[in-house]
Parts: sequence; C-alpha cells; structure tokens
Amino acid sequence: MSAVATAGTARPTRRKRDYSKLAVRLGAFAGFAAIALYFAATARGFVSPYNLTNIVEQSTILGLLAFGMTLVFAGTGTDVQKGGIDLSLAANAGLCAAVYAVLLRNGYGSAIAIPAAILTGMAIGALNGVAVVLFKIMPLLATLAVLNIAEGLELTLTENTVVPVSSPLIDMLAFGRFLGLSSLTWIFVVATIVLVAIAHYSRIGLRLYAVGGHKEAARAAGINNGAYVYGAYIAAGGLAGLTSILIVARLSSSTPGTGQMLLPVLAAALLGTVFSRRLIPTIGGTCLAALFIGTLANGFQLLGISSYWVSGVQGALILVVVAVTSFAKK
Amino acid sequence: MSEPAIEMRNVRKTFGPVIALEKADLVVHPGTIHGLVGANGAGKSTIIKILAGIYRKTAGTIRIFGETIEDVTPVAIERRGVHFIHQDRLLVPTATVAESIFLRNEPRFGPFLNHRHMRRRSKELLHRYFDLELSPDTLISELSTAQQKIVQITRALAQDARVLVLDEPTAALIDKEVKSLFKVLRRLRDDGLAIVFISHYMSEITEICDTVTVLRNGVDVGVVDPREVGIPRIVEMMTARNTSEMYPRRAVALGAPVLSVRDLTCEPYFRNVSFDLHAGEILGLTGLLGSGDKEVLKALFGQLRTDSGEIHLNGERVEFRSPVAAVSSGVAKIPEDRRAHGVAAGLSVRENVSLASLSDVSSRGFVNRSREVEVVSGLIDDLNIKTPGPDQLVKNLSGGNQQKVVVAKWLNCNSQVYLMDEPTVAVDVGAKIEIFELMNRLAEEGKALIFLSSDLEEIVEMCDRTLVIYRGEMIADYARGDIDADRLLAAASGAPAERGTPAPVRRSA
Amino acid sequence: MSVPSHTTSRPAFNLEALSNYAVLAAFLAIIAFFAIFADGFLSLDNLVSIILNKVVILAIVALGMTLVIASGGIDLSVGVSIDLSSMVFVMLIAAGYGGFVGAVGGLAAALCVGLANAALINKLKINPFLATLGILFIGETVQRVATGGGNPIYLTRGQYAGTFDVIARTEFLGVPTPIILMALCIVAVYLALHRSVFGRFVTVLGDAPDVARYSGVRVGFHTSIVFVACALLSGLAGILLSSTVRSYVPLSGDAFLLDAIGATFIGTAINSERRPSVVGTLLGVLLLAVMRNGLLLIGWNFFWQQVGIGVLVFLVLGISFGLRGRSE
Repeated sequence: MSAVATAGTARPTRRKRDYSKLAVRLGAFAGFAAIALYFAATARGFVSPYNLTNIVEQSTILGLLAFGMTLVFAGTGTDVQKGGIDLSLAANAGLCAAVYAVLLRNGYGSAIAIPAAILTGMAIGALNGVAVVLFKIMPLLATLAVLNIAEGLELTLTENTVVPVSSPLIDMLAFGRFLGLSSLTWIFVVATIVLVAIAHYSRIGLRLYAVGGHKEAARAAGINNGAYVYGAYIAAGGLAGLTSILIVARLSSSTPGTGQMLLPVLAAALLGTVFSRRLIPTIGGTCLAALFIGTLANGFQLLGISSYWVSGVQGALILVVVAVTSFAKK
Repeated sequence: MSEPAIEMRNVRKTFGPVIALEKADLVVHPGTIHGLVGANGAGKSTIIKILAGIYRKTAGTIRIFGETIEDVTPVAIERRGVHFIHQDRLLVPTATVAESIFLRNEPRFGPFLNHRHMRRRSKELLHRYFDLELSPDTLISELSTAQQKIVQITRALAQDARVLVLDEPTAALIDKEVKSLFKVLRRLRDDGLAIVFISHYMSEITEICDTVTVLRNGVDVGVVDPREVGIPRIVEMMTARNTSEMYPRRAVALGAPVLSVRDLTCEPYFRNVSFDLHAGEILGLTGLLGSGDKEVLKALFGQLRTDSGEIHLNGERVEFRSPVAAVSSGVAKIPEDRRAHGVAAGLSVRENVSLASLSDVSSRGFVNRSREVEVVSGLIDDLNIKTPGPDQLVKNLSGGNQQKVVVAKWLNCNSQVYLMDEPTVAVDVGAKIEIFELMNRLAEEGKALIFLSSDLEEIVEMCDRTLVIYRGEMIADYARGDIDADRLLAAASGAPAERGTPAPVRRSA
Repeated sequence: MSVPSHTTSRPAFNLEALSNYAVLAAFLAIIAFFAIFADGFLSLDNLVSIILNKVVILAIVALGMTLVIASGGIDLSVGVSIDLSSMVFVMLIAAGYGGFVGAVGGLAAALCVGLANAALINKLKINPFLATLGILFIGETVQRVATGGGNPIYLTRGQYAGTFDVIARTEFLGVPTPIILMALCIVAVYLALHRSVFGRFVTVLGDAPDVARYSGVRVGFHTSIVFVACALLSGLAGILLSSTVRSYVPLSGDAFLLDAIGATFIGTAINSERRPSVVGTLLGVLLLAVMRNGLLLIGWNFFWQQVGIGVLVFLVLGISFGLRGRSE
C-alpha cells in the first residue's frame, strides 16, 4: 500500500480536465469528419481520387509553412504574445521564391538557385534567432521587423512584378507524377514523415518541446535553450526556402503577395493544437489542420461558394478553437 | 571518515556592492543527510546556486569527490553525479512522466527515442523507490504536487545520482507524503548517497538530518548534530537572537464584531465555516495544503462564489461577486504571490501605493500628481519603506519593502478588514518583525485582521484566536494561550492521536 | 539582506539610460543625415507634406495602438477598423447621404469592430492577439463580400462635391483640418493615458493584471474601453484616409498595422520607464515618416525604403531590448 500514490490534492479537478480535453479532441476530429462528409454528400466530385489528391496538393504549401511555424511554437511556447511566433515566415518564403526565380531568370541553374533559396530562408531564420535569443527582443516584434526586411528585399529583387521561370525541375515538380500521386503530394508526405520523426521521435524534438514547454525546467535539465530557439527559427526559415521552390513551381513564377499566406499559416498551426492529446502544436496536428483548411477551400469551390468566405471561416474557426481549448484547459 | 562528496571552502559571492555570501563552508559526506538552514537572506540559496553552476562564485574552492572544479556549470556538476531537486517543481507541464524522467538523458534506438525503454524504466524506478504505480504516459500537468516532486527525484535517480540536493522538498507535501519521502531518503542514504536537505521546518531537520550547517548573514556559523543541540539552539544560531524577540507584543481590547461569517460553504473547498472577527483582532487561519483555508480567504474577497452561508460586514449582509465589490466595502487582501498579485513590479512605489485610493487624490477623473506624491511620501515615511523616493520602481525594492508597499496601498484606502495570505513568505527576519509590528499597529487602530500562515509559530505568537481548517471543515477554534505549535499541527493534520508528530504545514512553492 | 537593493541596480540603470540616449541619438543622427544629404528635406513644404501625408493617419492609429499595448494587449484588427469605417463612409456618401452621416456611419462600423474584440477578450477569455487575429480574417471576408471580391469604390466629383471636402481638404485658421483632428486626438489620448485615473488603471493592467484585479480595478471594463477607443481612432483614420484619396480600396488598412505597432514599440524603447507613451509613440511615428520621406528624397525606391525601415526598427529594438536584457 503506497501512501504517496493515493495522496494528491488535484485529483477531483484532474478527472474533469481529462474528459474535457478528450472532448475537445474528439470534437475536433468529429468536426473535420462531419465537414468532409457534408462535402462528400453535397459537392459533386468531392470524393473522386483526383479531387482528393488535389486537396492534398493544395494543402502542401500551406502545410509546409505551417510545419515551420509549428517548430517555432514547439521551441518557444504557444503564448503568441509573450512566447514565440514567427511573423516573417510567409514573407521569408516570398523572398526565397524571388531569389530562386531571379537566379533562374539570370541563367543560373537549379543547382545554384535551390541552395541559394534555402540558404536565404535559413539566413532570415537566423536573423530572427539573433533578435530573439541574443537581443532578447519580444518575438512578436522581432519577427515583425524581419518581416518588413524580408518583404522589402523581395520587392527590391522582383520590383513588385511577376518573374516567370521555367526549368525541367519546375516542370517535374508541377506536373510530375509517381505512383499516381503528384510530386507535391509526395513532398508533403515525405516532409510530414521526416518532421514527425524529428519532432516526436528524436532527442532533439523532445528537448525542443521541453524548451518551449518550460524554459526554466529545460535549463535546469542542462539544455542549452538558446541553441534550440535558434534551431527552431533556422529550421522554419529553411522550410520556407524549400516551400518557396514549390510555390514557384506551382505558379511557374515568383509572384508578389506570398506574405499574405501568414494568416492561414498561423491558423493552421494554431488549429492543429486541438488534434493533439496535450493540446500543443504537433506536426501531425498541423498536417491535419492544413488538410482541413484545404478541404474547406476545395469544398467551397466545388459548391460554388465564393472564395471570399474562406478567410472569414478560418477566422471564426480560430476563435472557436481558442475559446474551446481555453475552457477545456481550465 | 570517507572523502567528502561535496567540499565547498571559503566560498564568497558578491553582487556589485552587495555581499550575498561572505565566507562559507559546506562539507557533506557520502551516506549522510546534511541539513542546511538559515533565515531568508542568510545565503542558503546563494550557496546552492553556486554549487549548481547557476551563479559563479567570487572566491573559494569547490571539490566534488576530491576533484577540484574550477568552472562549475550545470552540466559539469551533473556529470559528476550531483543532482538538484529544485523547490519550484521544474518540470515541463506538457511532457509525460517518462519524458520528464529521461529529459537530456534519453535512451535511443538508432537515431530515435526508445520510448519503450523509457516507459519501462520509469515504471520500474517509480515502483522501486516510491512504491508508486503511475502510468509513465501521464502528463506532468495532471500530477499532484507530491507526484511531481517524486518525478523530479526519480529523474535524478535514473541518472545514478551520488549526491542529491533537495531544496525545501516537503514544501507542498502533506504529512503522509513527507513520511514516505523521508523513508526514501533514509534508504538512499543507506545506499551511500550524500543528501543535502534544505528546509524551513526545524522539526524535519531534527528528524531526518545527521548533521546541519547553519548559515547566518553569509557566514557558516556552525556545523552541529541537530539531535544533540535541539531546535531552540539552532534557531538561536540562525537569528542570533532569542526567539521571543521575534514577536512583538501587543495588548488591544477587542471591539465590536466587524465581520461575521455564518455557515459559509463553497464546495468542494470548504463547508459551514462560521466565525466573528472583531475590531482590533488578529485572527489566525491555518490548515494543510488543499485544506480549504486559502479558499476561505478567497471567498471573503469575492474571488470565489459561495454556495450558501452569509457574510455580514458591520451588521449588514454583503455578497461579494468580485474583488471590486470587496474592495469598495473596505476589505483588503494581501496576497501570497506578491510578484503576481500584490505589487505591479514594473511601476513606481507611488503608482502602487495610490492604486486602491486614486479617487482620494483625483478630481473629475484626473490624478492630482502633487497631492498623490504628498500622500504617498507620508506613507513611505510612516511605514519606513526603504526607497530612494516615491518614483522608484517597486521591482528594485527588497521583498520586505515590497510587502510594505502592498500594506501601504490598503492603509491608504481605509480598509477595515485585512485578509493576509502568507505575508511573511520570502522576507528576511528583520522585515518579518516589521511586518508583525505593522500588523499590531493595524489592530491597535481598530482594524480587523485575518492572518493566514503555514508557519505555526507565527500563528501561535501573533494571533488572538486561531481557526484550523481540515479537509474543508473548521475543526478547531483556539484562543491565544490555549495553544502551542504542536497542538495546532495535530489539529491541522486532523489526527489528534498523532499529536507532536513532526510534519509541516504547507508552504506552497 | 538588509542592504537596500536599489544599490544593486545602479550599474543596470546606467546601461538602461545609455540605451535611451542611443535611440534618441540615432533619431537625431537620422534627421541630421537627411538634412545634409537629402535636398529639400528641411523645406517647409516638405515638412508639412511629411506630416500631412505620412504622419496624420499613422499617428491616429498608433495612438489607439498605444492605449491597447499600454493595457497589456495588442490589436491586429486596426486595419479592419480602418477599412470598414472607410468602406461605410464612402458607401454612404456614394448613396448621397453626405459627409456627416457618412462619418457617423464609418465610426459606427469601427465601434462594432471594437465591441467584437472586447467581447471576445472579456467574455470568451481569448487572448488579444488571437481574438483580433480572428477579427482580421473575418473583416477580410466582410469586405470582399461587400465589394464583390475586393473592388475599390471611387467617388465621382458629383458625389463628393460639397459635403465631402469638408473633412480632409479644408483648413481651420490656416491649419489643415486633419492636423487639427490629429492634435485633438493626441491631447485626448495624452490626458486619458497619462493624467487620468482611467489611464493609471490601464497602466497597472498592462504591468500586472492580477494586481489591478485585486486592487478593485474593473479589468473587463477598462480592457473593453481600450479596445473600443483603439477601434474608434482607427475608424477616424479610415475616414481621413478615404476623404484624402476620395475612394475606398479594400484591405488597404492593414498597411498601417505594422507601422503602428512599430511606432508604439519604438516609443516604448525611448521612454525612460519602458512604457508605451503618447510622446514616445509620436516620436516613433515621426521617425518612420522621416525615414520614408528622407529615403525617397535621396532616391531610394519604395521597396528599399521598406528594407531600410525594417532594418531601422530591428536595430532600435535590438539596442533597447539588448542593453536592457544585458543589464538584468
């Protein structure tokens, strides 16, 4: 008979919280399923294999950027105001796309342009890291300033015009298929698997979440917090660089306005939390959330509902999710 | 005797002009439990933080198992088997038990985490040392305070600790939990571990420690066997004064009842609490962690909605739906967590003191700055708040002076009833005495005070009457002179048969 | 420790003071730089144009943001307030209701945004960042639906003649009306934030919300007022914006969001107590405006201006937070 095991003062509330957390998760899955079923019943062609892969394809770019945001949240906590956030992520992808497209236009091959784009992304990520870790600027502000820099550099490179490009690689990315699935789909699947492995099945991931979950506890355990925060921002930047190549491939050009993706990216990373047992941002949850948003956009399209409604629905979703999770956590 | 596990000699630490640790030794041998005691500010936490590699020593030598370490870092010290169980439960709330135990020491399977091994080992360790069946997949945020403390200790044991440093490990534990913790500590000692045990509770020190190092004003004033010298002598060494001087005396005639509480119930926290609080009275309130004593204060301040029962203030029935209503009826609260609830640390003394009484120094909605400065300066002098001026930021004041700022705030708005939740936590002895004097003064001025404390001696010495809450029930109501700390403790643990058993009342981290 | 602990912060204080001066010195250096290298920078015409074209609208929005940030929140939906106010204003005028009704309608639209924010934050306990982010999304949909996908509305001469010019293009005692409106807003927000009981409560709320609550401050009420005030100020800015350009362009208000936040935090960095302040925010607004104008005059295009301003804000924040972080 163990005295300690039966002791504990937080018991009664604990049970309740367990159930409410479970309810949130089940509710989230049920909501997703219900909306998918609704589209399947009302939107013609929704369940066709072609359309389903199309959804995944549409969600790829959003999903990859949201993975970057998820890593930043994992390493800096989800208190978006006081914790960490990367507002520069989408603008960073825009800048990388511009770097990639301009290099290709100027005759450099993909062998130079791709590493250049990814390195640009990582450099911008490192700049965020410097601001947050070294200068200790609030992440919200630091990444806001970096957003301006990235967007300005993008505009400078492209002079706010569309830079059309073509290369064999881009054709392959845009039109290539393998085992019946498009390149973009494959990239999304592979990226998800790799990131799940890193974030949830490796030492690095465990420590990253520890740093984001409780800074002092991580430091007391001997973890070098700063390195992980740098790592999260740089990895997010690298993902932005990688994504930029897909963006260019999909549009066959670098186009101004990639920065507009910031809000959907934030929405996906925040929505993803309701799919996790611990109510924290996870790669799997973010992947589902990105697919969810992609499904919504796709279903609306098929039903002939104007795309104007998509952002409003995303906004309402964020509010519902945040309100529900904050009540569940109480 | 064997080679010391820890040997700190002539360790000194200064912060600018302030000397936190003048010259202290700490020598701990394997196979012993070594107590470290001292008043707040004596240098206890400083010497521990130096050992942990959080602070860098200004001078002195540190040897671990005979090996001199120049550059003490958290990693270097941990690698030598020295582990710290911090007072605040430093665990990641969103991690599982298994993840927390193996954080930074994760078993791997190829490049991946070996989750299975982590789970199995965690289960094993928890069972072996604590006889605890706890799913390794439980989240830290779902554990009780005691269970979190156990996970912290298990983490150290999983890494083959040779030295354990426990900083106030019993702070948030109840009687039974303390007993089983002590059982584990004794077993670990017998296994040859060196254990450093830091506690405010003298009874624990005498029960568990083989030797004790006493710190005072940054100097180690003695190493003694606690069972030999006894508690009073240790306290004397700590404070360099007789215990009776700690508590200023006062003689006040009680006035009319100010606050009458009848059958106040707030499930699941407390039930049927009734008492009268008179003008000029200091009413003690105490209980173990989770007994509901804190919630009684909360209910009286409008932070909790009650289910039934009545509160009368000066004969009139009142119902506080929020702190706003309580404050406007003349009830003041001095909260336990000073940094979060008591003072706005980033604002000035002036802004803090005038906060609850701005209407007195303003007209038509605008603050009259010169009136405000005048009033606040008066209070600074009156309460002897040590600050360069009213515009100093509160975060630059010492803990005791911050507490006085909170009192000044309420004094200024003529509150009648003062609810004090652990007002002496984390203030040094000198400031403590000043706070007691302040309490006496409030009582003399006819205010009514409820004094919640887990330091039973404080309660015994300061209060005219004392209420004890046990599992939400008001089980005892003692008059002054009727009680001593032992009786109080027995009542608080709800086990009169265990009277005199040393065990702490809660002190939350 | 009986040693008064303020002595321990002495060296810290010097570093902090240094960081204050560093930011101010940088500001003066920038002005001096443009005065020397940018032709016509110091001419009266240019200075008036800086204020009229770059300062007025941003200053009004940033004043609202200052209130919100002082209370410990943030408002990402100022763009929505600007846009919806501007949209309703222009639509009402296009429908022939005149400038006054238009302005009242515009402010009412902004009021709705403020109330929605307040309700989400106080009733549903959503943190201000996410609440206003949600409103930002929803505001975008509202505008797209109302304008058939985001088509601008231009007013014809017949529509704006008479009533419309009253607001943006008139003068009062020789001073352009927008400047007078801005001055009124500055005085009002200054008094509210720095001189009134209300402002004191807001400041405490920003530093330690629980202390405010335990001291009898009505937290919900004050937060609501702050967000409503911010929305109304942004609404006023929206009206001035459309009456200047005689049109409503959907989603144009978001451009002010980053500058307003940037200006407020530059102001916080300059302020000796590290608090959001009206004077600090105005200096921040001026700094951004001077940079834009000066960089334009020395021949940088709009894109490089953005890079320059990003770098500037980065450096200002770096100096202020970096030195402070080191000193703690």
